[in-house]
Amino acid sequence: MELGPLGAGIAALGVLGPGIGIGILAGMSSAAIGRNPDAAGQIRGLAIILAAFAEGLGVLAIVVGLLAIFAS
Amino acid sequence: MSRRNRILALIAVIVVIDVIAFFVVPPFDPLPAEDGTAVECVYPICFINGNLELPAPHPVFPVGHHSPQGLVVWDLSISNTLLTLWIVAVFVLVLFWFMTRRPTAVPGRRQNIAEWAFESLESFAMSLGGPGAKPYVPLFVAFFLLILFSNWSGLIPGVGRVIWFRAPTSDVNVTIGLALCAWFFFQIQGFKHLGLGYAAKFFPLGEFRKGIGAGLIAMFVGLVELLLEFVKPVTLSMRLFGNIYGGEVALGVLTALTVALIPLAMYALEVMLNLVQALIFSTLTLMFTLAAIEHHGDEHDESAEPSGTPMDPAVVAGAH
Repeated sequence: MELGPLGAGIAALGVLGPGIGIGILAGMSSAAIGRNPDAAGQIRGLAIILAAFAEGLGVLAIVVGLLAIFAS
Repeated sequence: MSRRNRILALIAVIVVIDVIAFFVVPPFDPLPAEDGTAVECVYPICFINGNLELPAPHPVFPVGHHSPQGLVVWDLSISNTLLTLWIVAVFVLVLFWFMTRRPTAVPGRRQNIAEWAFESLESFAMSLGGPGAKPYVPLFVAFFLLILFSNWSGLIPGVGRVIWFRAPTSDVNVTIGLALCAWFFFQIQGFKHLGLGYAAKFFPLGEFRKGIGAGLIAMFVGLVELLLEFVKPVTLSMRLFGNIYGGEVALGVLTALTVALIPLAMYALEVMLNLVQALIFSTLTLMFTLAAIEHHGDEHDESAEPSGTPMDPAVVAGAH
């Protein structure tokens, strides 16, 4: 039985964690901007970069899935 | 003509273009079966296969050459992503040469656009890295512009479907090349600014003066930092590749499964995401460079002033 696609699907579950992380990050940065609107620019820049860190892990999961499909 | 009517007319035009494109460039699997018999085209599978692009790029220069399958392959040929990368690089060079030709004190329209782009990127870099980021702003802007236009080139209709062109950053080989350039850059900068003190970041032999226990812990931390140093290019390249390639696959699948307006919404999202990814890659390169040239000696003396850098590069690089 071909197990590559199954493994890819399981690897794609790895995006759950970064999803939760980005959700927390977005909520807290919105709250921070609401509390201190003058610092909105700085908070936004920080939030984008930190979101990219969280997202990078999810992308690693996707790459593992791609490897399971194409590199086996 | 009111705004509402205009929007409705626009939607109608998009639907008409979509229907025409459906017949002119049918989104089916163009390949027949291996034995030459016509295969039945089932709705989801066949449509998705027609729009899916494989991670390995198609080689264009040795005509008829086929590179081996796989995500990262060693294959000496000019692929369609490399060709598109050259075109994009020449485009960016010519565009900005044209914009900044014969600069005047009172900028004209072209020069104003170039100055606005550079200055807003520079202020962004300075707000993140502080005044120490000033020497690396040109590299930051160059990485940003090249990757931005590479990402956006994949959104031009036809690029990716035509065999000669494909978004350069949707190929893992191109992103690994870019990440290795950035990696060698900040390693060289680290050695240039700190000398052998840069190697002492990873092998902190000086900590043994404080006792054998502190020395062993410092050695372990240094080894972890050395490992993280080699993780940096991997995550840099895989983040860019995964986002752009994933975006292209998502666009292709949505185009295959639905019609008209839904892929358009995804397209707008991709325009924004590609901009953010270009910004992320260049910002991380800048941050890693700043973290590499930063002293972190054993004495936490008063030279590390609390204000000045709004965002500590070591914190950002450590959050990685």
